[in-house]
Amino acid sequence: MSDDDAQLVALIDKELDNSSRTALLARLAADELLRRRYEELRQTGEPLAASLDSLLEGAPLARLRAMIPTDKALRRPPRRFAGFAIRDLAAGLIVGALAAGAAIWAASTFGLVDGREDWRTAIAEYAHLYTNETFTPFNPDAAMQATELSAVGARVGAKLTPENVTLPGLRFTTAFMLSYDGAPLGVIAYVDPSGEPVLLCIIANDAPDATMRSKRRDDLSLAWWSRRGRSRLVIGRIPEEQAVAFARTLEKRI
Amino acid sequence: MSEASRREVRAGLEPSLARLWRYALVLSKARDVADDLTQATCVRAIERADQFVPGTRVDRWLFAILRSIWLNEIRSRRIREGVGFVDAEDVLTTDGAREIETNITASAVLRAIDRLPEAQRETVLLVYGEGYSYAEAAAALGVPIGTIMSRLASGRAALAKLK
Repeated sequence: MSDDDAQLVALIDKELDNSSRTALLARLAADELLRRRYEELRQTGEPLAASLDSLLEGAPLARLRAMIPTDKALRRPPRRFAGFAIRDLAAGLIVGALAAGAAIWAASTFGLVDGREDWRTAIAEYAHLYTNETFTPFNPDAAMQATELSAVGARVGAKLTPENVTLPGLRFTTAFMLSYDGAPLGVIAYVDPSGEPVLLCIIANDAPDATMRSKRRDDLSLAWWSRRGRSRLVIGRIPEEQAVAFARTLEKRI
Repeated sequence: MSEASRREVRAGLEPSLARLWRYALVLSKARDVADDLTQATCVRAIERADQFVPGTRVDRWLFAILRSIWLNEIRSRRIREGVGFVDAEDVLTTDGAREIETNITASAVLRAIDRLPEAQRETVLLVYGEGYSYAEAAAALGVPIGTIMSRLASGRAALAKLK
């Protein structure tokens, strides 16, 4: 790159002041090599802009949209949830940048939930924010599924495999860790064929055994039970009986 | 928080997401870092929306926030921790060999941009991707216009070699 290149590029970009422009145009008129260089540099302009534009197509827009916090969320001080930093994820708690992105977003939302109510309420609040775009980009292969589930299972004290978390009509998308009030909380996210999320949440909260119960909360159905110090919750915009059916299937396996 | 500022920042975030992410990717050359940097920019922008002057360009304000977080928090922390950034090649890619002109492809151009030093990549993006004037780029990056000129000329000279 020469000083001439800088002047030529500035001329191409219409950034030279009048006197510099006039002087350079006079040189160009008299210097064929300089003209050839001008043309070489000029021809890079269009490919450069088009290539930079092509990068925009790779932006993970659905994931980025999901990361934008709500005003309500920002106004509330962090309460009982704590998310894991990305370096913790990288250390082996969860493998996969997609899962990390979701965990960080979900954790930031969690942190803002009013602590007066229980963990199911907190999960229901952020489940309202999920759309059929939130988890559909997540499509891990079998090995990644096993790795994510194994890591989450180890943290919440449950043996989790791609086989024993399978639910009919749902596709596994990702599993990630959060914590609620100091208790490890694993989230396994599925989507139905339309992308609608259904979550299985497992929290190691030392809760006493409790038989399955279910309820509707707004447009969400919840089915939950506790065994051996761990509470489980199935939640999604599905009929209540379907949430219970999923929960019964999982109760037998996990 | 000024309601007008808050509204403008909110309204400007989503349309700017892809461009913020591209800027973050060009700076960091790492897609996971680009995701985090974009998210951190959104959070910071909402937190500090009262500092935004209504009627000015939200996208330029967001870019300044992103750059500040990158320089002062992410990059500096990683360097401090001895992690740094791998000078990975071919991080900036596009799908296949879409031809831009008769003899050059988008992926070839992106590979060439990939190999430029960070300051040149950033300047090239701001001027040729985002339409900053030389003066605007100089102000945004805190360097003289002559530096902008030499960075752009280096970038274009590298691309000219592809032909």
